[in-house]
Amino acid sequence: MIAATAFFFLISLAQAQVVNPLASDPRAAQAGGVIFRAQCATCHGADAKGIDSIEAPDLTLIWSRQTTTDASIFKTIKEGIAGSIMPPHQNPDPEIWMTVSYLKSIAISGTNETVVGNVGRGRSLFVENCSSCHRVDGVGGSLGPDLSSITGRRSLASLVNSLREPSSAIGRRFKPVSLTTATNERVQGTIKSEDAFSVQLMDSEQVLRAFNKIELIQFTREIDSLMPVFSEAALTETDVNDILSYLQSRRGRRPSI
Amino acid sequence: MGNKLFWKLIFSALCLSLSSYLLGQSSSAPSSNIANSVGPGYEDILRGFDDPSRWLTFSGDYSGTRHSPLQQITPKNVDQLRPVWTFQTGTTTRGRGFETSPLMDDGILYVTGSNNFAWAIDARTGRSFWQHRRDLPTDLTYGASAPVNRGFGMLGNQLFMVTLDAHLVSFDRRTGDVLWEIQLADYKTGYSATLAPLVLDDKVIIGISGGEYATRGFIDAYDPATGEQIWRFHTIPALGDPGSETWPPDPEVLSRGGGGTWMNGSYDPALNLIYWGVGNPNPDYFGDTRLGDNLYSNSLVALDADTGELKWHYQFTPHDLNDWDSNHMPVLADIEWNGQERKVVMVGNRNGFFYVLDRVSGELLLGKPFTATTWAREIGADGRPIVLNDGSKGCLPDPWGSTNFMPPSFYPGLDLFILTARETCATFVPEEPRYVTGQSSFGGVVFIDGEQGSGALRALDVHTGELRWEFTYPSPTFGGVMTTAAGLVFAGDHEGNFMAFDVESGENLWHYQTGSRIWGAAATTYLLDGRQYVLIPSGTTLTAFALPD
Repeated sequence: MIAATAFFFLISLAQAQVVNPLASDPRAAQAGGVIFRAQCATCHGADAKGIDSIEAPDLTLIWSRQTTTDASIFKTIKEGIAGSIMPPHQNPDPEIWMTVSYLKSIAISGTNETVVGNVGRGRSLFVENCSSCHRVDGVGGSLGPDLSSITGRRSLASLVNSLREPSSAIGRRFKPVSLTTATNERVQGTIKSEDAFSVQLMDSEQVLRAFNKIELIQFTREIDSLMPVFSEAALTETDVNDILSYLQSRRGRRPSI
Repeated sequence: MGNKLFWKLIFSALCLSLSSYLLGQSSSAPSSNIANSVGPGYEDILRGFDDPSRWLTFSGDYSGTRHSPLQQITPKNVDQLRPVWTFQTGTTTRGRGFETSPLMDDGILYVTGSNNFAWAIDARTGRSFWQHRRDLPTDLTYGASAPVNRGFGMLGNQLFMVTLDAHLVSFDRRTGDVLWEIQLADYKTGYSATLAPLVLDDKVIIGISGGEYATRGFIDAYDPATGEQIWRFHTIPALGDPGSETWPPDPEVLSRGGGGTWMNGSYDPALNLIYWGVGNPNPDYFGDTRLGDNLYSNSLVALDADTGELKWHYQFTPHDLNDWDSNHMPVLADIEWNGQERKVVMVGNRNGFFYVLDRVSGELLLGKPFTATTWAREIGADGRPIVLNDGSKGCLPDPWGSTNFMPPSFYPGLDLFILTARETCATFVPEEPRYVTGQSSFGGVVFIDGEQGSGALRALDVHTGELRWEFTYPSPTFGGVMTTAAGLVFAGDHEGNFMAFDVESGENLWHYQTGSRIWGAAATTYLLDGRQYVLIPSGTTLTAFALPD
């Protein structure tokens, strides 16, 4: 009898940990923000966008992962990540749940409202205008970011802005560069990696290429994105809505925000 | 002789024979005779680089110059440098690095690693003799900021290592067995330890981490034989003690004033002075509750090695609000200064300035910026920085600073101080912290502009602070520097390259991609079987390089 009671007690404990007990308390996120700023911001940045040099990830994007749950974030904070600088935390459980609430409150949540548009037309427009450089569900080009779940991470406004003014914000793995080789070949591409001696990029033909810097005649970090500007003349507001509607229809999972 | 005594002697002889046999079996190094060795003594450490087959203390000798006399590898042949072996630690510190400086004696390397692992490794083959793994508590606090370690201290057959749970441990170097261990401070309140102990003739000197917590830093001396404490110097004075006038008259504020001492110090045996850097005051970014200069935070202190008594200090960043710890390797050299021989100590500081001080008196001889920081561009006649930008006029060097704890090197003759410089851009937003035991109290947050960072290896003229040459890196770098008398500079970068440069021109002569950022560590070198080896830790690997046979 005692064993059975203990068993059910343990079961109920395990179940209790799965759900954020403070999820419905609007004060939790606020309190979690204070904890975040004091305990987490040094590595993850004051804006929680992460710090590359210490491999601290962008925490505003974690909720767009399929595997992310309140419980998984709670566990990571509490136990840390072995073999990394992410330590375990001794804070009482309610404080950790508050931090989970805060992280959820700052998550880049993407487009929650359903975009009104013609999905079928949007697909055609996407294939015609975008898929040579962008992939959806494994189909398309790779010069630009994979857009399969982009509407889960970016707001409508920022996606429209990326179409109209693609150079205003360029993702860190898609920065444009141009170079001239010793044989006078001109190469444009997006930079993937570099060190003092070499540069690794995807060229505009979507071929991964690497160059020794010392062998280059010219190497320039460009300001303008390789993505063309899609003005109203190129894609009307209706066209854009149709494309976004198509992208939203392909989104694998809408974050449970 | 009674029967019992006779059989005791026979039994003892058998045991001795058996143990000699077993020791012989385990001693597989071709020419090592470790079982009979008494190990290096203080006189050996004192000789430093006079015996280039050894590397017996963190920087190779007490001076911290990290300048080896070895000349087999030269600017002309360094492009032939090849990896000879790689040792895989199997333990990682993702986000930081493998920060150790291996010690070398009698063909055996003594190496500490992340998460308080340690090894004895055959310097010829990279094969290990033993491995130690300390069981760390599950409620470890994070005073060290990362679970790293920078190396052993060594004396005789003893090794000394500090631990993440703030202990000092002595090992038998032949077996890795723990001989004794003592607690330095309570890890549960935020103390930790990561540096390589500095071993003198009859003392083991250590420093402590934890300045991001409500802690009070110290430098300790311990008896190598017993672990008994000989002296302790508190980096934050007690109320009423000299220096306390630079703090609010509040014992509680002083008791949590920070001032970690987590990077190694250097030693001048003639002056019998230890030179040690002191870290940030706590809270890091919020200064309203600790008005004043906050001595001896962000200072270099010179202590009497016998007593721990403070002989002089120089504060680089009074009332620091940017976490610009002064935990740097103090570099000692005797140089000609305005026609006179001067004993100097040099520091490349996190606040962006390069300093030369008279190490007898503490007199400031030079203070010049080595990065583009707008925080300050000159030191006033009173020895204090003339602050131009407290952060309200644009960004400042980030909390990791214009350089950090990665060791620099001094090249005598050319009188070059060679260090890794970081150009960064950060905005600090202070907030009054709450104090919870075991939780950090930074006192604010920092916004770092990730688009603006870069790094460089820079060679400074120590007489003027002027830049002689530089080699730029694409990102802010934490790799350290070693020089050799052949005219070479060895350095590592954040992209994982281990590199060699011509010391006169700064020309890059060789590089090898190690596969992981080189963080905090600098190269070491030794001569073994007539062959010069160069070692660099990176990621989970320790790699030895040499010229082809």
